[in-house]
Amino acid sequence: MSIRARRNNGFQNVDLQTLSYYIGLVIIGWMMIIAATAKGNDFGGLSSEATKQGFFILISFVLIVGISFIEWKFWRTFSYVFYALSIFSLIAVLIIGKKVSGATSWFSIGGFSLQPSEFAKFATCLAMASFLSSYNANLKIFKSQLIAFGLITIPIILILLQPDAGSAIVFTSFLILFYRLGLSENFYIVFLTLTTLFIIALIYDPYYVILGFMMTGTGIFIYNLKNEKRIWIIGFTLMIIGTIAGLYFFPLFYQEIFVFNFVIIPILSFVLWRNGRKEIVKLLLPLIIFGGTFAYGANFAFNNILKPHQQSRINVWLSPSKAPSDAIYNLRQSKLTIGSGELSGKGFLQGTRTKLDFVPEQSTDFIFCTVGEEQGFVGVFGIIVLYLLFLYRITVIAERQRSDFSRNYAYGVAGILFFHFFINIGMTMGLVMIIGIPLPFISYGGSSLLAFSLMIGVLLKLDSNRYSI
Amino acid sequence: MSQNKNEVLYRVYIVLGLLVVFAGFIFYNAVKINVLEGDKWRKEGEKDHFRNHVVKASRGNIITEDGALLASSLPFFDIFFDLTRPSQGLWTNSNLDSLVDGLMPYVIDDFNMTNLAFRDSLIKARNAGKQYMLIKRDVSYADYEEIKQLPIFRRGQMAGGFIAEEKFKRESPYGMLALRTLGYVRNNRMVGLEGWFDKELKGSDGKKLKVYEAASKILVPVDDLNSIKPKSGNDIVTTLDVNIQDVVQKALLRGMEHHDAEDGTAIVMEVKTGKIRAMSNVGKTTKGWYENYNHAIGTKVEPGSTFKLASMMALLEDGYIDLDDSINLEQGLYTFYEEEMRDASFHQLDSTTIRKAFEISSNVGVAKLIQRYYGDTDEASKFIQHLKDFRLDQIVGIELNGEAKPYIKEAYNEDDSWSGISLPWMSIGYEVELTPLQMLTFYNAVANDGRMMKPYLVTQVQQFGEALKTFKPTVIKKEIARPETIQKVKELLEGVVKTGTAKKLKSNRYQFAGKTGTAQINYYKFDQRDNIKYRASFVGYFPAEDPIYSCIVVVTEPRKSGRYGSEVAGPIFRQIADKCFIQQKELYPKGNERKKVLTKNQLPQLDVGYRKDVDKILKNLKLIHTDSGVKNWAVLTADTDTIHIAPRYISRDLVPNVVGMGLRDALYILENLGLKVTFQGAGKVVQQSLKGGTKIRGQKINLKLR
Repeated sequence: MSIRARRNNGFQNVDLQTLSYYIGLVIIGWMMIIAATAKGNDFGGLSSEATKQGFFILISFVLIVGISFIEWKFWRTFSYVFYALSIFSLIAVLIIGKKVSGATSWFSIGGFSLQPSEFAKFATCLAMASFLSSYNANLKIFKSQLIAFGLITIPIILILLQPDAGSAIVFTSFLILFYRLGLSENFYIVFLTLTTLFIIALIYDPYYVILGFMMTGTGIFIYNLKNEKRIWIIGFTLMIIGTIAGLYFFPLFYQEIFVFNFVIIPILSFVLWRNGRKEIVKLLLPLIIFGGTFAYGANFAFNNILKPHQQSRINVWLSPSKAPSDAIYNLRQSKLTIGSGELSGKGFLQGTRTKLDFVPEQSTDFIFCTVGEEQGFVGVFGIIVLYLLFLYRITVIAERQRSDFSRNYAYGVAGILFFHFFINIGMTMGLVMIIGIPLPFISYGGSSLLAFSLMIGVLLKLDSNRYSI
Repeated sequence: MSQNKNEVLYRVYIVLGLLVVFAGFIFYNAVKINVLEGDKWRKEGEKDHFRNHVVKASRGNIITEDGALLASSLPFFDIFFDLTRPSQGLWTNSNLDSLVDGLMPYVIDDFNMTNLAFRDSLIKARNAGKQYMLIKRDVSYADYEEIKQLPIFRRGQMAGGFIAEEKFKRESPYGMLALRTLGYVRNNRMVGLEGWFDKELKGSDGKKLKVYEAASKILVPVDDLNSIKPKSGNDIVTTLDVNIQDVVQKALLRGMEHHDAEDGTAIVMEVKTGKIRAMSNVGKTTKGWYENYNHAIGTKVEPGSTFKLASMMALLEDGYIDLDDSINLEQGLYTFYEEEMRDASFHQLDSTTIRKAFEISSNVGVAKLIQRYYGDTDEASKFIQHLKDFRLDQIVGIELNGEAKPYIKEAYNEDDSWSGISLPWMSIGYEVELTPLQMLTFYNAVANDGRMMKPYLVTQVQQFGEALKTFKPTVIKKEIARPETIQKVKELLEGVVKTGTAKKLKSNRYQFAGKTGTAQINYYKFDQRDNIKYRASFVGYFPAEDPIYSCIVVVTEPRKSGRYGSEVAGPIFRQIADKCFIQQKELYPKGNERKKVLTKNQLPQLDVGYRKDVDKILKNLKLIHTDSGVKNWAVLTADTDTIHIAPRYISRDLVPNVVGMGLRDALYILENLGLKVTFQGAGKVVQQSLKGGTKIRGQKINLKLR
């Protein structure tokens, strides 16, 4: 039991690699915030973002040191308490929160603002790890699935009420943990299919999607007719080719083709049903109907439920020609700023576009632009590699845990970080739609930095006690 | 269990695999944006926030030597509305209403719709995705300042969509005055002084790098070494004299109207220096009289009789004749090689002096003399050489584009279609072509005792009132003829006015010298012989004894009230000379400023005025007056050369006598006394309805003025 003796000794056994990635990212982030906010040689004094961030960095470091002296079991024991507190704070912020640019996401305490949704990520992560490591939890069981999804749905709903869709979406990152724990792949297939369908329905006219479903269905029906009569095969193959050709050459007539399919599918279903191929009809007909309805519903939801700024963000991403010019403007500015750094960048504090505030939110959500402009591809590459190493290290840490709780927690953290990393950097480069979430450790923001530091601190603590079990 | 382990491992790899795939996407994009497209983004970025602004230079002014502004550049603006700029918060109905209400007075003529309809059209255009909308062109600076302050617009270009493009418009404060001489620069056409001095006037446009500051949405000028300040154009100082130009223009215009002529030109030149004091062209257009072409420099014409001066000078230079030699004028009809030459005016003189022949402008006389002395084959070139010595074959080099080159035939040159009658006809001003300015330069040389001055229009190029370049009078030729010759032809020119063709124009106030000319324009067209058109001209200088100005007047195609130089051009010349004489003190003979002899009717008689005013006037007129200690109202009487001042008393309660006062004084006094004044006429009070000394009871008083 000599190993056990190592527990609870502060930084003993701490994973130095992870710690250095963390510190590296935080320091780089601070430099970038200085670069993004300085005007010339004026760094803005005590109330500037750079100073504030420096202050939060200090607190974060103190926090991590503090955590190292807390018994590691504390986090598991009190995980649901933290979760409850977090949910309470999410409710409270809706009532007494401060409204900043349209969202009631902030508590204003003294001169500082706290964003409970940032801490909710950490709390949910703890609760989720705790629940999924419990003896009864099994993601192959519906009840466990229900509870697991419930744990993330509650904060999602509360955060959507703020409204802060970006932070809410982050909670879907737990799907990575769920996958690791054996949630059926079918779920992911359906999830991805529906997402794809949703996107296609937004990019193209939903009629095309419905038509696609119908024609695929018609095709499968006809394929299944082959045992019956050759004449059917030839006839309907020609029909399919004709339909595709017609759609290709005369896209204006898609309504006629639509009507044609609408008529032919019931006929085919009837013929197959009569010929005893009931299972095909049973499977395919609902699929066609569901797919079509979903596509149509997606479009309807987009146009009627989403707010204009959300619509325009999606449009910027999926169909720029439909997007309003000011929405395109942000993305273009972001790309311009990153791209203008070229290979080696313009140099620290030399970013002209950064200086001139071309990119909105450049110290927070679009901090990556500063990296791109001032440090160029070298900097961009460096940050990405650092992040990937960091994420890989966390995955490695996760897999070496003996405690399910610790492993689940580590996966949760990795998922959240990866989600932030991919979405944030992806959005600045136009790869994914613009979702207002920060780049962890680098973006300006006290709540975000504290919450992520908390996550990493706890992770390091749990890992340092991996031999304790 | 092992299967479960495999499953877990598989899922871990899937997760890691996805991580790699997604990271790959990010990585690929980073390479694409930073490395592959980096250059493009950087350039686009610079285009985006560095903007080169052309800062238009303001064009220089054209001013006269005494500072009058003849041409100046005023800023004007084209106002556009960038409909995409105002944010939704700014684009409210109330803001739009105020904007439209404010704009409407300026744009009502362009849009011609109600305020509401105009507002709706703005909304419609914005909704349709239209970006720029022209609001109004050519808005003056004052209006621009107003429009700039309207709601929405006051937010500037970036936030409010207000775009004003500045441009400069050339304005001529004196309107048509010397318009063609001042000229213009338009579509690469360089006309007049504007054209000739374009390089000086236009200055150079500046460049300024501005940076677009996205946060505040403003363009911030940056201090960089590449920015170029616009250099305002230099001013040019012209020799033109507004007063003389005005006189010339009016006189010319009057003459043109009186004679219903096609076009006319008049130039006044300062004898000693060659400075052009006035250059006016009036042409008949469908819309009335207008300066549409600078005939003074651009049109070379057969001058007619005014050219005889050159012929006489040639003869005198060679010593072939003297003024009092006699010559047979053949009763005004002579045939050279079967071509008849007639004198313009009917006379029956056979033998007379050469002086007389010139004074009556006898074609026969001059042509015969020339033919006699230069008619031999090898002599003709001698005559031509004289013309060249007089520089009649050269352009004078005025600072205007388009000066026509004179046409003087070379002796016996077939290219010039020299014929037997060329010489006699040249001697009287046909088969040669000169511009009015070239002819004037020649006469000016005579007036200047043979010293030919180059005519010029610009004395200085100035920058902020400091001279950059100064143009001094230039001598073309020190002596175009011997002094004796000049002396003799001056006599001749004076004779023309004293006893010759222009004797009707004689003035007893001053003497002037000159020569009339009446050229037939279309003599060579046989079918128009019955409808001969004329060009009347008069060129000369004044005062004859010590010439200050030379002047030429050319009127083409006078259609009524005479056609001769003495009838058409001469009176215009005389008017010009008269006015110049009155206006220009220097025209008074220097040194012997005579004491003014004044007659009683030139002096005030019983005029009444306020003492201070009276003093001022008398002082300016240098009139001697007695001082009788009058304080307020003074009555003036005069004998031969002295003014006596007597008091006029105004009592508080008696109607005063205001006869002899100007209206202003009379009104002041009477209304102060509580009288209600009505009046008729203008001038001085000659009659008042209430007698002086009547008691004042607030009556009405009527004044008659004359």
